[in-house]
Amino acid sequence: MAYLRLISQRLVMTVLTLWGLATLVFIMIKLIPGDEAQVAAGPGANPEQVASVAKRLGLDLPVLQQYLNFLLRMLRGDLGTSVVSSKPVLTELAAVLPSTIELMIFASIIGTLIAFPMALVAASYRGKAFDGIARIVAVTGGAMPAFWLALMLQFFFGNVWRITPISGQHSFGIASPNVTGMPTLDALLAGDIPAFLDALAYLILPAFVFAIPFAAQVFRLLRASLLGVLASDMMLPVRAKGASTSRMVLRHALPNSLLPTVSLMGVLVGGMVGGAILVETVFARRGVGSFLANSVALKDTYAVLGAVMFVGIAVCLVNLVADIITLMLDPRIRGTQFGAGAK
Amino acid sequence: MTLVLPTASPRRKANFTAYELTVFGVVAALFLLALIGPMIAPADIYTSNMLETLFPPSAEHWLGTDDQGRDIFWRLIAGSQLSLFATVLVVILYSIIGMIVATLATVGPRWVDELLMRVTDIGLSLPGLVVSLGIATVLGPSLQSGIIALALTGWPMTARILRTTMRQTMEQPFVEGARILGVSRTRLMLKHVLPNSLDVLIVKWAGDISFTMLILAGLSFIGVGAQPPSPEWGAMISGARGNMSIAWWAVAAPGAAIVINAVAFALLADILQVRRDPSLRA
Amino acid sequence: MGVDTILTDGIIPAPVRRRPEALLQVEQLSIDIATRDANVRLVDNVSFGIGRGERVALVGESGSGKSVTAQALMRLNSRVKLSGRVNFDGKDLLSLSPSQMAAMRGQRMGMVFQDPMSSLDPLMTIGDQVAETLRIRGISKRNARQRALDVLDELKVERAAERLDSFPHEFSGGMRQRVVLAMALVGEPDLLIADEPTTALDVRVQERVLDLLDEISRRRSLAVLLITHDMGIVAGFADRVMVMYSGRIVEENEATLLFAEPQHPYTRGLLEAVPRADVTVDRLRSIPGAPPVPAARPSGCTFHPRCDRAMAICSSVEPGEAITPSGARVRCHLYGAG
Ligand SMILES: Nc1ncnc2c1ncn2[C@@H]1O[C@H](COP(=O)(O)OP(=O)(O)OP(=O)(O)O)[C@@H](O)[C@H]1O
Ligand code: SF4
Ligand SMILES: [Mg+2]
Repeated sequence: MAYLRLISQRLVMTVLTLWGLATLVFIMIKLIPGDEAQVAAGPGANPEQVASVAKRLGLDLPVLQQYLNFLLRMLRGDLGTSVVSSKPVLTELAAVLPSTIELMIFASIIGTLIAFPMALVAASYRGKAFDGIARIVAVTGGAMPAFWLALMLQFFFGNVWRITPISGQHSFGIASPNVTGMPTLDALLAGDIPAFLDALAYLILPAFVFAIPFAAQVFRLLRASLLGVLASDMMLPVRAKGASTSRMVLRHALPNSLLPTVSLMGVLVGGMVGGAILVETVFARRGVGSFLANSVALKDTYAVLGAVMFVGIAVCLVNLVADIITLMLDPRIRGTQFGAGAK
Repeated sequence: MTLVLPTASPRRKANFTAYELTVFGVVAALFLLALIGPMIAPADIYTSNMLETLFPPSAEHWLGTDDQGRDIFWRLIAGSQLSLFATVLVVILYSIIGMIVATLATVGPRWVDELLMRVTDIGLSLPGLVVSLGIATVLGPSLQSGIIALALTGWPMTARILRTTMRQTMEQPFVEGARILGVSRTRLMLKHVLPNSLDVLIVKWAGDISFTMLILAGLSFIGVGAQPPSPEWGAMISGARGNMSIAWWAVAAPGAAIVINAVAFALLADILQVRRDPSLRA
Repeated sequence: MGVDTILTDGIIPAPVRRRPEALLQVEQLSIDIATRDANVRLVDNVSFGIGRGERVALVGESGSGKSVTAQALMRLNSRVKLSGRVNFDGKDLLSLSPSQMAAMRGQRMGMVFQDPMSSLDPLMTIGDQVAETLRIRGISKRNARQRALDVLDELKVERAAERLDSFPHEFSGGMRQRVVLAMALVGEPDLLIADEPTTALDVRVQERVLDLLDEISRRRSLAVLLITHDMGIVAGFADRVMVMYSGRIVEENEATLLFAEPQHPYTRGLLEAVPRADVTVDRLRSIPGAPPVPAARPSGCTFHPRCDRAMAICSSVEPGEAITPSGARVRCHLYGAG
């Protein structure tokens, strides 16, 4: 039952975190300069309108009551209303979320494909030239400002060399019917290979911008934990069996390093949502990030805070999933649930 | 074996490699530049000269000019103070918050520790950039807002690490000894435990500066941090973005300045970390 | 006492008693490690042999270099520099290529380590870990699994067939040590190096594991190099004993003779400290002081600061090797002019 207990611990922590975030957002709403009702009613509203908005939003109630109402609204999934579009923030975000998810999935795949082989080779040939170079490349890659990398890649690959599209998610007139909100997946569902390749071409640069710092971090952690396992007492018996370096790395060090790496990847994927604010804006992609950036630009504070809440929820869920996967990978915990030796 | 007496190990000689010395030198130079940058930059970098807009790099303007005809190279030099010092300020501010939280958690009663660490956990799992964005938006866009927002969201990791080390230090014999001698808890904390835990933080600071510089520039780029015409590097990129297709160097140069700083501090962090934990060495 | 010993400075006369056919012959093995500031000699000019089926114990205080020596025999630690000769069944191990050396491991020589808790991969099933030695040699999955099962049966692991697919955390300490033994034995090596195989276990389990080892060693005529702190174990198990101090072998003799007539002051100290066989070396108190660290060994005889019989010569001249009438190979000025 250790397994269920650990998962329920994580669940409780997630709920607490979301509660903390909601409280933070509530405090921020209270801190918005100016009269809240006035802001919510829009700049041109007359006093009666402001008063009715205040009543509708419950702003005439005591603060504690407002706070409880706010939490109840969050529980119902009401993240507030955009002052600019007058639409619920949740509706707007739900429409653009798949596009962000698509980007994050691609970025994680690319990042993993870069980081894992690099770390495995570096750990196998520790101290050799490749290891040293890879480490410096990783430090450098992790220290790139994402938005600047996005601008530069976009300019050179898109404008100068014209290898990739510059911005957007698909060429004009090529889009497949919107089913999932992810252009690549929609194209596949429609069986339209050219449209798929087209969407992929639009995806590649932004995905790389995310993939580089992602790969840098994953590389560093994976290399360090591979080396940790290789230096541990566990490896001497394996060496004494006559195992080759590649066997030690792939069969023993890698599985044992996977646990910390997967939880880090969860954290990093969560962090990508934040980075999306910058990258989606640069590449003019639909998404949670560009929604946030637009709301900032339009000074639509309610939309910003609603989106902050939304992203917070998303990040917590990603972390929760990564935690659960980590738990499931570990037979010491898994075993007690599913019974030993069952194959 | 129980017979072994603790032998005083001779203090390890520093002998740094050429690579390590280079990184130290670069970091020192970057600090120096930030210190004197605004003093050595010519005054005309703050005024526009519409006759010289968007010049490409040349002997006269090493990195060209921006859309206001201001010399980009000298604006970078002048802006290094804002960019680096604002970053350092953020790290100092949240380190102080983290230290206070960790100290309270260590000396306080159990429930205080429990409460503070839960709050820390919550802080750790929130997306820092996004929450900062929210805070900075509410405070109104400015470099100060960016600094405050990042200071308010950056502390949990410091608090968590510091509290762990403080707990370990508290359990060491010399602390126990001092307590028996009647040294007060607070004094013990401030005079012994905190200083003993700080060397953990020093390694972290270098990495934090690298990382924070990227986020701070990001906030400026979105428009909630420093505002044009400030020569803060993120703001410079944001301002030059519109003319990217005719003057890409105006975007590339400030970004490169950020990269140089962030990479230098990241390499410094890497060196310090490997020195603490030689098992990571290549 | 020193009068009638044979002086052998460097040249060792052929031992009088009959030895089993040599399997392992170590000559002038030195082990160095490069630290940040200097080269440190961990083991200095060690020579010894192990015959086929012979059981040899290596004893000494912590830090004397036992594990470093044991690992050097299989070239397990790539951070140290080895010099001298390690002859195993006619092959000089130190001149083998890495892949040739890997082929020796598991197959010709197996090793068991101190802590069974940390010696197993927590994420791999017991069966896979035992069979791995064979899988590396290209033996089919089914055959390897069958042989793993056989060895676990031989080591009296109950319900071994059911437990092949369990993970290490489901095993008790004693059971894990049997698994670790099985990993070393499944390749049917000629030599088993056991580095404190029972230290981490409680006394009853220790005994059972040693009995098993004893039985298997006899049945398979398996040579064993047993490294231990525990003099009680040595007496019951080993044919011959080597005493190590500060990276050198200071005394070597047949077990019965060594216990009856210890020659080197260090050995005597060790044995005096063990009035009962169940007291381990690391709990003894009778030798004052602490062993030196390899980086700062005393001059002359490295034992002189702690020796109750030390003479003027001891602090300046390193004693050579001598053979006493009892057949002990000793490094001490009491037994020679050296
Ligand atoms: N990697 C290393 N770097 C520096 N010194 C080392 C290293 N490995 C071992 N040593 C030193 O070599 C000496 C011998 O160590 P070794 O582990 O062989 O001792 P031991 O006799 O097996 O002791 P124990 O009974 O504690 O296992 C010790 O002084 C140890 O400090
Ligand atoms: S050589 Fe001298 S100091 Fe060393 S053991 Fe013999 S008597 Fe003692
Ligand atoms: Mg040892």
